[in-house]
Amino acid sequence: MKEIRLKKGHDIVLAGQPEKRLVNTGQPARLKIRPADFRGIKPKLIVKEGDHVKTGSPVFYSKAFPDMFVTSPGAGRIVSIVIGERRVVKEIVIDLDKAESFEEFGSFNEQSVASLSAEKIKKQLLRSGLWPVIRQRPFSSVADPDKLPKAVFVPAMTTAPFALDTDFVLDHDSTGFQMGLSILKRLAGSPVHLVTGKNSSSAVLVGAKDVVQHRFSGPHPAGNVGIHIHHIAPIRGRDDIVWYVSLQDVLRIGRLFLKGRLPVEKIVTVGGESVEKRLYVKMRHGMMLKDVLWGNPVERNSRLIAGDVLTGLKSVPEDPLGFYHETVSVIPENTRRDFIGWLLPGLHKYSVTNLFLSRLVKKREARLDTRMHGSPRVIIPFGNIESVLPMDILPTFLVKMILAKDIDEMEKLGIYECDPEDFALCSFVDASKMEIAEIIREGLEYVEKNG
Amino acid sequence: MRSIRKFLDRIEPRFSKGGRWERLFPLYEMVDTVFYVPGTTTAVAPHIRDAVDIKRSMSTVIIALLPALIFGIYNTGYQIDPDAGFLQNMLTGGVAVLPLILVSYIVGGLWELLFAVVRRHEISEGFLVTGLLLPMTLPPDIPLWMVAAGISFGVVIGKEVTGGTGYNVFNPALVARAFIFFAYPGEMTGDPVWSLADDLTAATPLAVAASVQSENAVSLVSEAGYSLKQMFLGLIPGSVGGTSKLAVLVGAIILIATRIANWRIIAGSIAGLVAASLLANMLAPASENTMLSLPPIYHIVMGGFAFGIVFMATDPVSAAQTDRGRWIYGMLIGVLCVMIRVLNQAFVEGVMLSILLGNAFAPMIDYFVLRQNIARRKRAYENQ
Repeated sequence: MKEIRLKKGHDIVLAGQPEKRLVNTGQPARLKIRPADFRGIKPKLIVKEGDHVKTGSPVFYSKAFPDMFVTSPGAGRIVSIVIGERRVVKEIVIDLDKAESFEEFGSFNEQSVASLSAEKIKKQLLRSGLWPVIRQRPFSSVADPDKLPKAVFVPAMTTAPFALDTDFVLDHDSTGFQMGLSILKRLAGSPVHLVTGKNSSSAVLVGAKDVVQHRFSGPHPAGNVGIHIHHIAPIRGRDDIVWYVSLQDVLRIGRLFLKGRLPVEKIVTVGGESVEKRLYVKMRHGMMLKDVLWGNPVERNSRLIAGDVLTGLKSVPEDPLGFYHETVSVIPENTRRDFIGWLLPGLHKYSVTNLFLSRLVKKREARLDTRMHGSPRVIIPFGNIESVLPMDILPTFLVKMILAKDIDEMEKLGIYECDPEDFALCSFVDASKMEIAEIIREGLEYVEKNG
Repeated sequence: MRSIRKFLDRIEPRFSKGGRWERLFPLYEMVDTVFYVPGTTTAVAPHIRDAVDIKRSMSTVIIALLPALIFGIYNTGYQIDPDAGFLQNMLTGGVAVLPLILVSYIVGGLWELLFAVVRRHEISEGFLVTGLLLPMTLPPDIPLWMVAAGISFGVVIGKEVTGGTGYNVFNPALVARAFIFFAYPGEMTGDPVWSLADDLTAATPLAVAASVQSENAVSLVSEAGYSLKQMFLGLIPGSVGGTSKLAVLVGAIILIATRIANWRIIAGSIAGLVAASLLANMLAPASENTMLSLPPIYHIVMGGFAFGIVFMATDPVSAAQTDRGRWIYGMLIGVLCVMIRVLNQAFVEGVMLSILLGNAFAPMIDYFVLRQNIARRKRAYENQ
């Protein structure tokens, strides 16, 4: 197995790294489902306020694929359905029962699952509400069940700040991992690429069957699936589909077929300077952040982020952790204005560039807050953003073509291979303080709609 | 320091929307952010940001220019009276050079402000560099009104008509210099202009080498009293900032270490210059042109080449913007510089024109690099 070594990128070792200690959250009283988590699903409600749901009962379906359900991660009563502007369903709130009841799906063992047809697998995934764990590129939306991909990617390495250690997750419980991989292989009928990091030693990963193994090394974003796809099976165009499933969701697929019930747990990390305990937490899908952080005080004047600091969503404690999020980050908010800060040596300023004295003093951890550290300006191509993008893509020109809304050039420059999360570091390092990742998002949306 | 903040906060409403001086907001923004880094926080992901901004980047260029500037001030005094002593030379040099810089900053700054107000964009920090670069490329005795005319042309025609900073095709400081060069050639060329001393006509080394036919350029230069060491250290007549290659080298090290200047452009330029001048040396015996025989090392230390490729060719906006393109762009500048110096005796100093030509070609170079990138992607798609 060849190791793909990436040089471009940058690891931000942020203060408040989670220690490798797993705790369970208590049983929450309330769960929330946000349809906006599922990109590409236009929700049609099945339940109404007052209805009772079991774990795995359908809550809404996709307008485009009526067989595709999103199901409840717990058993209880629907207490409210929040409708936003233009009658968009914003969230569905479920008050949990004391005792849990389950929707039953087919259960199999290692032998009987081998004889399952792709059609049966698909049906079970769609009905159980687990299908949305499969997402597709381009556009990072929930996979289209009618279009088979040319490849499936399972990234088993992480490089983002505070991200889960995959070995830790598998050492804790790897039930269903191999079965999940085999099911994906059978379902997609195309190679499943399992990408591990340089230091990964988990026996489950090394011994995985039905997969093509790859090894990647390098600084962030080397662990992002978009980078893996770019180097292994680049996306040619809008109909050239690649699926990707997170490692924990592979476990969930395997467990669904083993137990016949919707698995609703995931392990997430809690990290950041502004939270007291930084650790690994085992939680139920749909839990609100305040429940995930129960008994774990957060400092005043801090920002709660569902997801990692580079790609997550700014949140309030009542927001649920998103369907795909595996990190809760809490960092200091700060609006202090430094006096002639641009002129001072900058011993305590964090920068990827060599423009501050702090570059000469190697620190173990970076203390960063939410400040922009500058005002927005026009593009001046110093080469900062190129230095953190390990793809054969020219970001400055792509950004210009997106701003010019030139679909033809965007396609030629490889927009289909792009995803905002791979460009988060570009936003981070840009001296002009342009929102590069947001521009990429706008470009992708524009191409998706008009291309 | 608290009182500055209090004052800025007190007058802020008058400049923000609905205030009496709403249109002058860019001016307020400039003053406000000069004193205090903006306190804005991230609205969307990523939630944390690098401390770098354009102010920091541009002020690094100023810092890199300082050695050349300070040396230039000293040298201006030194050329009048070498025996006056360091302080006296700094004083006379300062009296001659600082007005040039002040005029350049004030006149150019007013244009910058006018366009920022009318076009409703921010005042760009890039001007700090342009405003200092121009006087450093001029002879010290240039009339102040010419500096004013030049910087006006540079800012307005070189930058603002195409949309302002970031949208300019040519380096604005070079456009300004080219304007002065062609509009007032009497003040920019010939022997008398490079020194402030009245009774002295000081030919620059390049002018010496180009002055006579069928000679050996190296011996001509050394007969005129210029050794390689002198030309490297820079106590010779020339433009304000460009004579000391040592000071330029210090600036180059700062710019390359901080990655504000792309080293590929500088390396490419030197490679292009060496290749072209070696070729010229080979042709020298067959021609009467003295300049053909000038060896590469002389080309590097003579004239404004070093200053030009370090501080002007590396302007990230008007240079090529792809890594491969930067190599080609640099080499083109190096080759063109030798061609202009050697083959066109009317312009003994070729680097200004070669960089402007390089600027003109940069978008085309990038275009081909882009097509290459697209072709490579197509191949990767087919080979997967």
